[in-house]
Amino acid sequence: MTMAPEEPKVEVPEGYVKLTIDGEEVIAPKGELLIRTAERLGTVIPRFCDHPLLDPAGACRQCLVEVEMNGRPMPKPQASCTMTVADGMVVKTQRTSPVADKAQQGVMELLLINHPLDCPICDKGGECPLQNQAMAHGRADSRFRDTKRTFPKPLPISTQVLLDRERCVLCQRCTRFSDQIAGDPFIDLLERGAHQQIGTAETAEIYDAASHTASGKPFQSYFSGNTIQICPVGALTSAQYRFRSRPFDLVSSPSVCEHCSSGCAERTDFRRGKVMRKLAGEDPEVNEEWICDKGRFAFRYATAAQRLRTPLVRNAETGELEEASWTQALAAAADGLAKARDGKGVGVLPGGRLTLEDAYAYSKFARLALRTNDIDYRARAHSAEELDFLASRVVGTTPETGVTFTALEHAPLVLCVAFEPEEEAPAVFLRLRKGARKRRTKVVHIGQWTTPAVSKTFGELLACVPGGEASAVEGIAQHAPDLDEALRAEGAVVLVGERAAEVPGLFSALHRLSERTGARLAWIPRRAGERGAIEVGALPTLLPGGRSVEDAAARSEVEQVWGLEAGALPGTPGRDVTGMLNALVTRDLDGLLVGGVDPADLPDPALARKALAAASFVVSLEMLPSEVTEHADVVLPIAPVDEKAGSFLNWEGRRREFSITLEGTGALPDCRVLDTLGVEMDADLFTQTPAAAAGDLARLAPKPTGSAAAPDVPNGHVPKAGDGQAVLATWRQLIDEGTLQIDEPHLAGTARPVVARMSKASAAGLGRRVTVSTERGSVTLPLEVADLPDGVVWLPANSPGSKVRATLGAGHGAVVTIAAGGDQ
Amino acid sequence: MGLEENLPNGILLASLEKVVNWARKNSLWPATFGLACCAIEMMTTGGSRYDIARFGMERFSATPRQADLMIVAGRVTQKMAPVLRQIYDQMAEPKWVLAMGVCASSGGMFNNYAVVQGVDHIVPVDMYLPGCPPRPEMLLDAILKLHAKIQDEPMGPRRAALRAASGERTEIIPSSVKYAKK
Amino acid sequence: MFDALKGFGVTFSNMFKKVATEEYPEIGAPAAPRYHGRHQLNRHPDGLEKCVGCELCAWACPADAIFVEGGDNTEEERYSPGERYGKDYQINYLRCIGCGLCVEACPTRSLTMINFYELADDNRQDLIYTKEDLLAPLLPGMEQPPHPMRLGDNEQDYYVNGPELARDRGVPSGETVETSEEKAMQ
Repeated sequence: MTMAPEEPKVEVPEGYVKLTIDGEEVIAPKGELLIRTAERLGTVIPRFCDHPLLDPAGACRQCLVEVEMNGRPMPKPQASCTMTVADGMVVKTQRTSPVADKAQQGVMELLLINHPLDCPICDKGGECPLQNQAMAHGRADSRFRDTKRTFPKPLPISTQVLLDRERCVLCQRCTRFSDQIAGDPFIDLLERGAHQQIGTAETAEIYDAASHTASGKPFQSYFSGNTIQICPVGALTSAQYRFRSRPFDLVSSPSVCEHCSSGCAERTDFRRGKVMRKLAGEDPEVNEEWICDKGRFAFRYATAAQRLRTPLVRNAETGELEEASWTQALAAAADGLAKARDGKGVGVLPGGRLTLEDAYAYSKFARLALRTNDIDYRARAHSAEELDFLASRVVGTTPETGVTFTALEHAPLVLCVAFEPEEEAPAVFLRLRKGARKRRTKVVHIGQWTTPAVSKTFGELLACVPGGEASAVEGIAQHAPDLDEALRAEGAVVLVGERAAEVPGLFSALHRLSERTGARLAWIPRRAGERGAIEVGALPTLLPGGRSVEDAAARSEVEQVWGLEAGALPGTPGRDVTGMLNALVTRDLDGLLVGGVDPADLPDPALARKALAAASFVVSLEMLPSEVTEHADVVLPIAPVDEKAGSFLNWEGRRREFSITLEGTGALPDCRVLDTLGVEMDADLFTQTPAAAAGDLARLAPKPTGSAAAPDVPNGHVPKAGDGQAVLATWRQLIDEGTLQIDEPHLAGTARPVVARMSKASAAGLGRRVTVSTERGSVTLPLEVADLPDGVVWLPANSPGSKVRATLGAGHGAVVTIAAGGDQ
Repeated sequence: MGLEENLPNGILLASLEKVVNWARKNSLWPATFGLACCAIEMMTTGGSRYDIARFGMERFSATPRQADLMIVAGRVTQKMAPVLRQIYDQMAEPKWVLAMGVCASSGGMFNNYAVVQGVDHIVPVDMYLPGCPPRPEMLLDAILKLHAKIQDEPMGPRRAALRAASGERTEIIPSSVKYAKK
Repeated sequence: MFDALKGFGVTFSNMFKKVATEEYPEIGAPAAPRYHGRHQLNRHPDGLEKCVGCELCAWACPADAIFVEGGDNTEEERYSPGERYGKDYQINYLRCIGCGLCVEACPTRSLTMINFYELADDNRQDLIYTKEDLLAPLLPGMEQPPHPMRLGDNEQDYYVNGPELARDRGVPSGETVETSEEKAMQ
């Protein structure tokens, strides 16, 4: 007699429970939501409000299932998106339970009662969960015979986000996102019962609703675009993309954001050779599912009317730039550069927005074709101390060895020094907030005032005078022993931003702090290409892979890989940006090869202008005309990121590769242009394509860090403001007058207000506007009182009406004159 | 004819051009190039109901050397392309090409690797006729429009240059309007 | 001997039979009432466009012959009732196979086909018909957009009461707005 083999008894591990879903036994971790357990089994329960990264709400009731506990069925179907699994639970979804199925269909019918039938004109039509589920589970006709509820539409929540309340199913994804993830409660539920609707404080006033948002604040968010993406119906739409195309007409291509150093994953949707929109991509290691509005909406710079599309060569007789063929332009550029090289030499300013491959081409071009170390990508304030810091602490770090987004989320303490996460790296800000909200990460900011980022990360501010950050860091041990103690905890992180280069001694102080406490140190630049440019040696002291130019062994290694004769690489460190500009003015340098650099970003724009005028030969590789173009002898147009492949290295050192989105536009990446230019100058770069450049770079394995000397610069004296003066604190706002944000009126409308900030005591007697001036120029802005130290004024660095570098010629920590600006 | 190339520009040619063009347009002999469904409509056009003989075209020629007008009727595959070009090359000058139907004109709905995306990639096309397939009236309409173009064709390079410089173009008028009974 | 006469007899007798040949083009361009000729973008009785730029026609098109881009109606510049209108509308007649799936897909009955078929042209550019080429001619009572909604406060009025509104506006009776081009041809 044969016996049926006994069912092997499955042990339920600790922390797990066993339950039955649709007759199938499942083991699930405690605390898991039913809807996810079912999903792992392959049963998709329809839902609208549920989102894995938002707290459960149970708002839409679409995910009803039948649940039985301890043999007793629950009296009514339960929402599976709010119910956690329990031992011995028996769950029947719509697959096996007619009750659950009927309940879901009923909810669908109720949701559709007030939903307009305007799918043909709705931007969500074609990718709409409500549409899909109505088609899959809904009734073919409606039993509702009365008049549908209507609202005036669309209602602008901001210049960028439009709300159509008729379509809303009140799932509260948007309100939960703004409340939980972004921390900007700009959108909220208003009214009750049948009148319940989504709105803002402003809309509540306009339409005279009985209640206001919880905060009552006007719209202000850098992350509002995400609500458009997670809206399960077409209630929230973007003004930029509105009615521009339909999802079934778009081709999607995964891409990487080119705006900041976070390297967020994106999805670029295009049709007929034109990018229509960008959406957040999913990468749990980096940006999870969120991106900032700049990454989402700022892409039309690539289609700007003024974009350079053909090479230009300056006519020697008329002095005008004239269109030329690539062959002519490259020959002219090669000829001029070779002459300048054989004269006093050529400097290279690649700029901080290059892909890894393009930056490598610049680095190699400088060494091979121009035979110089005069290359510096830093198109911003910089210092020799920073160079040492980058060589000793930054180059070569990877997610395996350095700080990561995940590490930020799990850190017990994060100290932000001279770094404004929300403005400079929004994805970092979201992680900090997530850590602070979910894991009680303590966030301490050493800055000037309680910025929105400080309060939204539930942070603590250690206010200091601009330029006094180094002393503040030094003083931690003495004045903030609890912070010092917390920094010694396992996993504590110190983040430092690009502004640190303007504070003498800050990098050294941070290095010492990190050595003393064991806290991990991460440098978060503002631009996407900075980290990659360091790695490929687009710096005067570094060769690719973090090799020092002064190290003979490292040089010969590079010479071997590049197939050069021994001793071909110059062994003396080159000049930095300011050094090169000075040398051009004093005629110690003849030529200049410039990438995407705006002279107004440089520490001294006036010097930059003088240098450009003094240079005997300037070659510009640019996408859009700039001040450099006016002085350039040859202009070579290059491709925007959508039209080339490549990779960015984000601040973690993570390689963020992307392939070409728009093919066949004929635009060439920098590496290809430089390669051909190199051939004209008898130097083979082997960077014809980004893939070739990456392959060539891979042969130069990075050298382990730690070989370079750490920076050791004494603290600069803390700037002091005299009578009628103040110390300037300044940094860029996320949405400002940046070149990559041109042609985006809707996005520009969501920028933060451009105001100057001072402490109450310092602002006394100045009236409602303040004029900040130096001997170069002045900026007059509305004055707002904030908790700055006395004698400090804060200005946005590059916003409309406040271009600090260009107008004042000063930076963070400079002493400026303050006067009343009139009331206007 | 060849003779006109050597004649001086002047009084004679304006009238001669008209006569020659009149003769040419009224005795167009088509080289059939039926490749698909459009060819069925083309055959219908040759039949008694539409009677292409009314326009002096009844002799559908299987000998390219006796033909002036190539009616490419149907989708041209990459494999057929060289054959088509060879037939075209064998036709004697002057010669014209009519792309009949959307497939011959642009590839039509066959946007794929096998089909030539428009016969104008291989031979110069004088008249594009949309439709899938075009009905016989449409073919007649296209032929009549081509007649109008032939009638206006300049004789000799000098007159061609003059006409190009003047920017003059034959007006394309729907045949039912142009030839409507008054 | 008789054979030859018999042969001529066939020819001779045919001279008295009805001629089968259609006298195109002299008799005009005949077509069945529902013939799939070229497209027409229809108008509401007050002249506003029916097209809302939804691109469903482009989606339905098996030959990818249609390109549509939507646009925003504003109070100052209104082309159709409601929020959205077709800003750019192109049909490539060298791809179009006249299947009519686009007409079936159109949710507002904006796109229909008329009987006109004499489309042949001597260059590919001119056979891409744009919105100006495709829009229906203005009938009595219609005015050229952009102009405000004349027949109601919102698009509901246009869609729910279309035929009555057309009559009130003086569109000739027995003539639907969709078939105007047909008449206009003659």
